[in-house]
Amino acid sequence: MSAPLKGIRIADFTVHNAGPFATHILSQLGAECIKIESAQRPDIFRKPHPVYGRMGPATFDQVASNKLSVRINLKHPQGADLARRLAAVSDVAAESFRPGVMRRLGLDHEALRQVKPDLVFLSICSSGQTGPDAHFSGYAPLFGAWGGLGALTGYADGPPVEMRHVMDHAVGLNAALAVVGALHRRRATGEGALVDVAAREVASSLIGEALLVAAAGGEPTRMGNDHLAMAPHGVYPAQGEDRWLSIAVRGDDQWRALVRVMGRPELAADARFATVARRLSRRAELDALVSEWTLTVAAEAAAAALQAEGVAAHVSWTSRDIADDAHLRARGAIVEVSEPDGRTRAAVGAPLKLSKGGDIGLTRGTPRLGEHEDYVFGDLLGLSAEERRSLERDGAIY
Amino acid sequence: MSRGPLHGRRVVVSASGVAAAYAGRLLSVLGAETILLEPPAGSALRSEPPWLDDDSRVSALFAYLAAGARSTVCDLDSEQGRTAAFALLSQADILVDDTPLVWRSRRGLDEAAIAERCPHLVHVSVLPFGASGPKADWVGEEINLLHASGEGNLLPNGLSVETFPDRPPVKIHGHFAELQGGVTAALGALSALWVADEVGGQFVDVSVQDAALAVSAFSIQRLGDGQVEHRKARSFRYGGVLPCADGFVELLTLEQRQWEGLVELLGRPEWAADPRLSDPLERSRRGAEINRHVRAWARSRRTDDVVAQGQAAGVPIAKYMSPADVLGDKHERVRGLFAPVDVPGVGVLDLLTAPFRYGSEPFAVSAGPPSLGEDGWAEADAPAAGAARMQG
Repeated sequence: MSAPLKGIRIADFTVHNAGPFATHILSQLGAECIKIESAQRPDIFRKPHPVYGRMGPATFDQVASNKLSVRINLKHPQGADLARRLAAVSDVAAESFRPGVMRRLGLDHEALRQVKPDLVFLSICSSGQTGPDAHFSGYAPLFGAWGGLGALTGYADGPPVEMRHVMDHAVGLNAALAVVGALHRRRATGEGALVDVAAREVASSLIGEALLVAAAGGEPTRMGNDHLAMAPHGVYPAQGEDRWLSIAVRGDDQWRALVRVMGRPELAADARFATVARRLSRRAELDALVSEWTLTVAAEAAAAALQAEGVAAHVSWTSRDIADDAHLRARGAIVEVSEPDGRTRAAVGAPLKLSKGGDIGLTRGTPRLGEHEDYVFGDLLGLSAEERRSLERDGAIY
Repeated sequence: MSRGPLHGRRVVVSASGVAAAYAGRLLSVLGAETILLEPPAGSALRSEPPWLDDDSRVSALFAYLAAGARSTVCDLDSEQGRTAAFALLSQADILVDDTPLVWRSRRGLDEAAIAERCPHLVHVSVLPFGASGPKADWVGEEINLLHASGEGNLLPNGLSVETFPDRPPVKIHGHFAELQGGVTAALGALSALWVADEVGGQFVDVSVQDAALAVSAFSIQRLGDGQVEHRKARSFRYGGVLPCADGFVELLTLEQRQWEGLVELLGRPEWAADPRLSDPLERSRRGAEINRHVRAWARSRRTDDVVAQGQAAGVPIAKYMSPADVLGDKHERVRGLFAPVDVPGVGVLDLLTAPFRYGSEPFAVSAGPPSLGEDGWAEADAPAAGAARMQG
C-alpha cells in the first residue's frame, strides 16, 4: 500500500507560505514535489527575516520539507525553457506570484499547456487571477482584512486582529484540496485546469455564516470569546504564570457538570443561571465565578476533570506543550525530524490518517538549495553532465 | 460552467458539528450529490446560531454549511433506521461522519462495521481529537480546539494585545479550527477516492486538532529554532493594524521596495529620511518609533484613500472589511464569489460559493439548505432519482 498521491509530480514555483504549504501537504500525501528556486531568488526561509525577528536563515522550514530542490533561473531564457521541460513531465505546476509574473516568464498556464495539455496549474495570490483588485499585493494579515475575518476577530471594544501564518496555511490547505479535485476532473475528462485560489476569498469562506447574516440585513461584529449559545464560554486564568484554560459549556447537563467539578454544586440550583438564556444574559457574572475557581487549579488537571464529566475543556497550549504531547505524537501529528547537523526537532506531520495510506507524512527534511539536481535534471529530464555544466556556466542553472 | 470533478459521486454526511458538515459542503460544490443523514429531530447544526431571522430562528451556520445538500431523516438508534442507512451507504462513494466514538458501534457506524458491510466506501471520520490516541474520547468545541492546536494562545497580537495586554487570549471569529478540519476531511476523502479503484474503500481519520495544528505549524518550527512564540512578542515590529478616520487598515512591508513605497506614500517625511532606516534590521529595532509616525499619519485619513494610494505605490495595505463590505465589494461582485440561493423560511440570499475555482468561472451552488427530510427516504433510496437531480 502506498501513499495515495504517489505517482503525481508537482513542479513547484511557489514562494513564501500559502503556496508552499499547499504543495507541502500534497507531498505528505505522496506527491513528488520539486521546488524551484535560484541562488539569486532563494525562498524567504533561506534569508534573514527581521520583521519576524529572525536574523539568519531558517535551518528547518516546515513548508519546504518533504520536497526536492533544484536551481533554475527563471529569468534566463534557457532557465525558462528548463522549467517548461520540467512542467512537461509533471502533473501539476504551482505558483504564488502576483498575476502576470508567470506570463512574463513564459510559464503561465497557457504556455505550459503547450508542453503538457492536461496540466493542473495552481495559481495562488491575494485577490485571484481576475477582477479589479487582481494586481493587489498582500500577505496573511491583509488576506484576513480583505476577507472580513480580521474585522470579526478581536475584543468587542478593541481593534481588529491580524491573522498570521494560519491564514496563509488555510489558503494552502484549500488549494491542496482544489488540486486533488482538479486531478479527479482530469481523470474523468482528460482536461487539465487552471486552479485559481484567492487568499482573501479563503478568509471570506471562514466567515461564510456571517456573510449570510449580512446578506439578510444583520450586522455581525467582534465578540471576543463570547458565544451566542454557550455560557460559560471563554479562556480562564489558571494557576501559574500566563496559564489559561478554555472552557465551553453547552446546555444544562454540562452546566451542572461544571459546577460539580468546580465544587460549587449549589450553583446548579441557582435560579440566576437555571437556563441557557439566563446564563447567556449573565455572562460576565459567570466568567467571574469560573475565573475564581480556575485561578486555584492546575490547568491540565482541571481540563482532565472537566472532560471526565463531559465538559469541553482544554488548556491553552504553547508550542512546547504541543511538541511534548503524547496524543499528538501517537497520531503522528507531531513527529521528530533530523536537522542537517544530526540533531532532531519536532515538526508537524500529516494532518490526517489513512487506513491504507502507506507512508504518508514527512519523509525528508528541508532540502539544500539544488540538492536534487542529479535526479531531476539528470534522470527526469535526461540532461547530460556537459549540458548541465553549460547551463550553469550560462547562468540558467544558478 | 463545466461539471464538477465529483459529478456522479454520492456523499453521505452525518454531521452534528461544523467540520464534518463543511467537508460535505466542499464535496458538494465540487459536484458530488451530498445527502445529509439527519436524526428525526434534525442535525444539531440547525439549532446553532447565528440566526438569519430572529423570529424564525433559521441558522445562518446551517444554511452556509448545508447549501446544495439533500436531507433524509434516519433514526440510527432503531434497527429499521440502520438498515435504511446501510442501503443508502451501499450506493454511496463517501461517508463523512462525526458521531462520537462511544455511540458508533450501537449505530452501526464503527470502522469495522462499515469496512465489512461497505468495503467500497471511503469512510471519513471527523472528530475533535480524532478516532485514535489517548484523547480520542475527549469532547471539544471550537474554542477548545483552537487552544489545543496552538493558535489560540497566540492571539491577539499587534495593536490588540498592545491595547489590552492583560486580557485572556481571544479566539478567531467563528469556526476557524473546525473549518480546517472540514477542508482536511474533504482532502482526505478525495485522496482516498483517488486510489479507491486499486485498494477499495478505506478509513480516513481526521482530527480537528491535527488539522488546526497543521496550519499552526510555524510555531512548532519556531520552537525548533529555540523560540516559544508568545502573543505579546510576535507582533510585527512595525505596520500592522492602523486606525483610520473611518475604520482600520492593515499595513505590512516585508520587502525593501515596499518600505520605500511607504516612505513615498507618507510624503517623504523628515524622520524617514534617516539613512539608517534603509536597513531592515534597524527598522525592526526602531519599530515602535516608526509606528508612532505611521499611526499619526493614518489617523486622519480615510481607509479607501489609504488603500488606493498605498496599493498604487506598491505598498501592501488592505482595509479591514466588514461582512457587508465584503458582500458588496466590487472585486468580489466581478468575480462572482456570491450566488443567490433560496433559504427556506427566509428567502433568497447571496451565499459564498467556494474559495477556489477552475478557470474564471466560480462554482455553482445548486440550492440553498434543505428542509429536514425534504427528499424523503424513498427518493434518496432510489439511485435513479439521485441521477436525475444531479443532471438538473
